[in-house]
Amino acid sequence: MVQASEGSPRGGRGITRAEALRLMGLSAGVLVGPSLIAAGCGGGSQLVSIDRIGKEDASNSAKVQLNNSYTHQSSTPSWADGFQKLFTKFAKDHPDWKLDLKIIPDSQTTQEQARLLEEARAGRAPDWANVDSFVVAQFISQGALQPLDQYFDKSEIGGLYPFVRDIVVGDDGKTYAYWWATDVRVLYRRTDLVPDPPRTWDELIKAAKAATKKDSKVDGYLFNGGRWEGTVFDNLAHFWSQGGELVDDKGKPIFNEDPNRTYMLNVFNFLKECVDSGASPKRVATIKDYADFEAAAQAKSVAMFQGGDFEYPPLKDSLPPEEMKKWAISLLPTKNPNDPQRTGTGGWTMAAFTKDPKKLKIGAEFTNDVYVGEGNQVTGQLPTNPKYFSLSKFKDPVYDTFREALKYGKARPGVPVYPEISNQLQIAIGTVLTGESTPEDALNKAADASLAAYNQQK
Amino acid sequence: MTPTKKAFTFRGLAGEHRPTLWLAPLLAIVTLFYLYPAFEVLRYSLTNASLLRPDYEYTLSTFAQVLGDPVLYKVIKTTAIFVIASIVLQLLLGLLIAVAVNRASKRRLPGRVFIRSLVLSAWVMPGVVIGIVWAIILNDADYGLANLLLGAVGLGTVPWLSTPTTALISVIIANVWRGTAFSMILQYAGLQSIPDELYEAAEVDGAGKLQSFFYITIPQLRPIMMINIILITISTLSTFDMILALTGGGPGQATEVLSLRTYNVIFQNYSLSEGAVLAVIMMLISLALTLAYRRLLRSEGTL
Repeated sequence: MVQASEGSPRGGRGITRAEALRLMGLSAGVLVGPSLIAAGCGGGSQLVSIDRIGKEDASNSAKVQLNNSYTHQSSTPSWADGFQKLFTKFAKDHPDWKLDLKIIPDSQTTQEQARLLEEARAGRAPDWANVDSFVVAQFISQGALQPLDQYFDKSEIGGLYPFVRDIVVGDDGKTYAYWWATDVRVLYRRTDLVPDPPRTWDELIKAAKAATKKDSKVDGYLFNGGRWEGTVFDNLAHFWSQGGELVDDKGKPIFNEDPNRTYMLNVFNFLKECVDSGASPKRVATIKDYADFEAAAQAKSVAMFQGGDFEYPPLKDSLPPEEMKKWAISLLPTKNPNDPQRTGTGGWTMAAFTKDPKKLKIGAEFTNDVYVGEGNQVTGQLPTNPKYFSLSKFKDPVYDTFREALKYGKARPGVPVYPEISNQLQIAIGTVLTGESTPEDALNKAADASLAAYNQQK
Repeated sequence: MTPTKKAFTFRGLAGEHRPTLWLAPLLAIVTLFYLYPAFEVLRYSLTNASLLRPDYEYTLSTFAQVLGDPVLYKVIKTTAIFVIASIVLQLLLGLLIAVAVNRASKRRLPGRVFIRSLVLSAWVMPGVVIGIVWAIILNDADYGLANLLLGAVGLGTVPWLSTPTTALISVIIANVWRGTAFSMILQYAGLQSIPDELYEAAEVDGAGKLQSFFYITIPQLRPIMMINIILITISTLSTFDMILALTGGGPGQATEVLSLRTYNVIFQNYSLSEGAVLAVIMMLISLALTLAYRRLLRSEGTL
């Protein structure tokens, strides 16, 4: 029980519980209040507040839309802390500017892209925004983005991976976005069950079956097969490695025209074979979250899975060191031993909607100071320029594998019909895996629906 | 005798029999936030509008296109199974819990408020959270919560989400879990309003517990049950967030309902007009069912 001191006016009488709580509340208010203000919760004189970078009374301002993850409000504490420091430094270095932030929750970033395009058309878009790399080409074709060449070094743009330049550089040769963070799909395997990395699909199935024989509690090979973008994105690598193309130069779906039809059927048959042969469990048709692979690895119930580079840090954090030692990472297997080991790459860009040269300049400086290199160092997301692999964050030898994989990186086609192609291929893969459709029927339906969407969008 | 014309006065508008002014704010809100958006949906359904093009023209071809797509009928069938199963199960389970809580209230048993709060907690949870929670519970792997429990009692694992049939059942289970709370609250309120005298009189006449339930409770609850059915139908028809998080509409299209298809058409295909047509179809289904229920209530003389 809290006691008042003997010298107090209460003459040593014990205070009541209610009084004690009131006192504690008052003390907490006195202590916490200034801290909150200092932290920038609405404090006008602070350099970084909940929705602003720079002082409130700065003479210039620009509107910037960012994904929650790439701000000081990220749900990952180390990211939040890292961006808080970078934002503060930027504000100190640019005292005449304030950036008014619109922060998009991570769960809404995909829908937000359609809204952003609408806003751009209506002239209400922010000055700068995070634009998903796979919609950049659409934004360029709609004339929504402004060229950025004069605000970045030529060597910076020239040093970007080819798959990055393919997307951010328009047909007119101008650069319309700075793609600063990317990822790759790779094969994770437990070396005690699968000692050597499989080079071909056949080797993968064989190794997966052998692993399940060795340990009946493990699934041989897990992959995304549920109804979500990851299913198509991950498995497109198998289509691309054969030389397949989803769309032609005009953006028309051609994945059901030979030779692409054969390549896509090969992929469907490979995935079906994985399930039918017992190399993969039927539940792959439900997997629509990379976290499922991590959960399986933690439960020691999987021998191999196709995952992203971004799963390496959480796996390292969650597995005991002796368990983690068993895991190795290699490039994705292909149909034929000499096919290039293609892999899907995604990620986020910073792009400008404003035509105001001053705002273009400050946005480019913000991108350079906060995200290019520095942002990769904070998040651990792979850089789009090989030179940034020299940063301390990427010293672990595993990043050599990711760097190697990026050489074979390929981005999804940035055409308006891609989301519908993806939707239809998700359905097709789902029905093939559950046995509802034959690969041929599933492919025909997906192609018909995609073409219908393309014709409607024309 | 010719009737004399009354002069217009603003005071007259707010008179006892002319509540125009009193209703004006409500009418304005309804028009602005309900009628106008509904009108816009209807208008877009009669166009070929796309999120990718600023210009559009008025046409009936979008209706023809959507209605001519065989996938629509598959989706409607899935939606019908989802809605009917949800109505039946939410109504029955809601009644069961309401009767139990009502009995506990009358006997002043401890823990009745806790039970009510516990059931209601499912109702206040956002659909996305419910989808994620059930995805964890119904994970097909051995370490999925449901399969872990089944395995512990030697029943083996169930492919909850990986076959078209079990995936639809799983989605229904999750929806019923969420909706039962609201159904319970409505029926609990109905049970509270039944006079005790009716049960006392039945007891004097020698009626047993089951007879009292079927001849007093159910008939007295009928109007509230009908309202409950209307509300369950509307809320289930518009459920998509929970399904999106739980199955995404898969495997394949096994759990793709009308509302989820509408979302996909707009956000994947950028087709505002097709999405609007699907929304109009949903609106018409809701309206038709509501009118049918209303007619049923009227024919029974309860409305």
